[in-house]
Amino acid sequence: MAQQQPERRNLFSKLYHWAVDGLERTVFMGIQYTFPKRFVSPLGYLGMLTGITFLMLGVTGGLLMFYYQPTLTGCGSITCAFESIDRINNDVPFGWLLRSIHYTASNAMVLLAILHMYYQYFSGRFKIKNEVLWVTGIILGIITGVEAYSGYDLIFNQRAGLAIEIGSSLANASPVIGGGLRIALFGSGFTDFILRLYSVHVFILPMVMIILVFIHFPRYLVLDLPVVASVMGGILMLGAIFPAPYVPPASACIANPFLAGCQYNPGNPTLTIPEWYLTGIYALLRTEFDKFVMGGLMPGLLFLMALVIPFIDTSKKLNWRDRPFFTALGITSIAQILITTAWGFYINPDTSLPTLQRLLVPPELYFASMLGVTVMSFACTYAALRYIKSRERVRKAAAPLGPILTRKWVYVVFLALILGQVALTGLALLSVYGGTFGVGSVQVIFQGGLRNVTLFDAGAVLVTFGIIVHLYRYSQNLPF
Amino acid sequence: MVEDEKSNPSSSSTASGDEKKVPQPSPAPPTPPAAPAAASGQPLRPVPQPLVRPVPTPPLPPSAPPRNAGRRTFFKLIVALGAVLTLIPFVPWGDYLSHSVGSTGAALRQKVVIDNNTKYGSAAGQPVNVNDLSTFPPDTHWVITYPSSGNSTQDAQNPDTFVKFELIRLPAGELGGDQAEATAFVAFSKVCVHLWCSPNYNPAQGHEDYECPCHGSIYEIPDGKAVAGPASEQPPPTNAIPMLTLTADSTGQLYIEPPVWDVEHNGVIGYGRDYLSYVNYIKPEAEGTGS
Repeated sequence: MAQQQPERRNLFSKLYHWAVDGLERTVFMGIQYTFPKRFVSPLGYLGMLTGITFLMLGVTGGLLMFYYQPTLTGCGSITCAFESIDRINNDVPFGWLLRSIHYTASNAMVLLAILHMYYQYFSGRFKIKNEVLWVTGIILGIITGVEAYSGYDLIFNQRAGLAIEIGSSLANASPVIGGGLRIALFGSGFTDFILRLYSVHVFILPMVMIILVFIHFPRYLVLDLPVVASVMGGILMLGAIFPAPYVPPASACIANPFLAGCQYNPGNPTLTIPEWYLTGIYALLRTEFDKFVMGGLMPGLLFLMALVIPFIDTSKKLNWRDRPFFTALGITSIAQILITTAWGFYINPDTSLPTLQRLLVPPELYFASMLGVTVMSFACTYAALRYIKSRERVRKAAAPLGPILTRKWVYVVFLALILGQVALTGLALLSVYGGTFGVGSVQVIFQGGLRNVTLFDAGAVLVTFGIIVHLYRYSQNLPF
Repeated sequence: MVEDEKSNPSSSSTASGDEKKVPQPSPAPPTPPAAPAAASGQPLRPVPQPLVRPVPTPPLPPSAPPRNAGRRTFFKLIVALGAVLTLIPFVPWGDYLSHSVGSTGAALRQKVVIDNNTKYGSAAGQPVNVNDLSTFPPDTHWVITYPSSGNSTQDAQNPDTFVKFELIRLPAGELGGDQAEATAFVAFSKVCVHLWCSPNYNPAQGHEDYECPCHGSIYEIPDGKAVAGPASEQPPPTNAIPMLTLTADSTGQLYIEPPVWDVEHNGVIGYGRDYLSYVNYIKPEAEGTGS
């Protein structure tokens, strides 16, 4: 690095190179960073995007810690945990916004981690690296799930209370070590539950994840600013469309402890569907077989299968077309997970039926469908691969595309984007301050504070910024 | 031999090829004879090796190992034993994780007081009298707390399921919910023996049972035995809900008798209860303290 001696023009450039040269002997220089000059498919760096989401969660989570109180007693007649969530959501400026970002980013991280795993699996890229990277990836994925679970328990609404109870009783149901495991993991009561889940959620698991990420980190890291900005902006926009679960004001919950969305009250729980990454386990439990087998062993089997994949699939072939068995296996797992997850969401809407009848996942139907979907996935995959093989012919290399935009249009689009960003930023600010400083009808419109417009706009501004950066690098490659 | 291969810096780790990786000169001279010159020759800047697994070194001449080998194995065993012994004293420290705060103090006899929840109307926060059929009508249910904090408003916000019980006044008629006796009431634990969700009493005609909203376990009244759903599939005694023993004094005030938390008596909350033993357990009690 230092030997190449790039021309150092100004103070800023000097400062930059001073910092980069200083990093020479640190762990970060073991990684080769790539800033792509043109658009490359994000599928290859989904892991990096998962990491970026992790950083977003770290920042928003750290800020939420300023107000969250992981205790139950000491806040009058309502638990501190729920009361502090109410304060973040309804009192603290932009608390609702951080909560929505944290909530959406957690969902995005689980999703990105799953997509990352499947892309590595089907593309065979995991074979280029080694088994340790794959295994740490699976462990990181499991921890991501546990992080998401422990996070949504901290809200301490009804869904959280029920999730804690089911989680701890599942731990309790494991053979031999069950009771000890439950006490060690969850403690002995809700006060312990919340404090431990908090410690696990904000410190222990993130620390484990950071250590594992050091092992899991690739040698080549693609940092694609336009895509990163778009993903972050997308999370913000989704957070505006699907905000974090509603929390009523604490006073309303004190007046009516059974009010929907209030803190967990064992007095009158109603039918509650867990978060989407847990509905699979929910469906399994509703087949009414032994709770440990369905709630612990079956998901464990899936994770075990994922762990041993690189030790079984040892062929030198990478492409999914050349690995029919493992392609079919992957598709089977996707189909089974999708069906089980969807089944977890399905509850017979006919409320006149007995609860049991509405909830029951008929085991014979469930396992038959699992078997059927396995056979179908294998048959379809093999048939499709045979078809693809038969149609395979020598392809001519496509001529590279010429520039789509002329110089004039690059300027026009640049200008349009900047103006759009100005408009969006203006709207975002207006949605925050319009109620206070606006005049006439503007003030009336923004009186209540258009919360989700603010968040959506901020996301749109980020995405627009990503597009501007992309257009910049595109214009750099143009022949003029 | 394996040791020698590992200490040989010519292994594939040279791929990074910087000054960062300064190969340590092997402390002991027994270098395998076939080792490349780069191994010990120029320690500061090893020649980059092609990215292939190193060719296994040919076996050492038979004269080299015999004196050291046994001693080395012995030393390794000593270190391994030492490592295990070092870990042993720390194992009991794991108890730090399982400090139990529950079950402090002796079980007490307690007046039955409904949790002060506005949803309960005139019954909210009231002590239960078996003679009061208007405040506590048959086929109705409320939540009570045992052990109570003494403040029914505070109890109503207590989220700990393990101290919560569903007080049910049985339906009139065959089950005797309209009788002015303690037997008109049952108090079931709010912790389902399946997965610790909280069941509710369903007073609807044709139901009149205790149903869990999470996975659909159904317990019958008045004995609290699971008759359908996942809890009913579990072997006894894990197929009946734990319950409190209720009695009434001469004025009709309902009391909770000090519970015995084992499966033969009131049950183990979150685990189960032997409902047949329980019948035998309450028989003499009911005769002794009845009104």
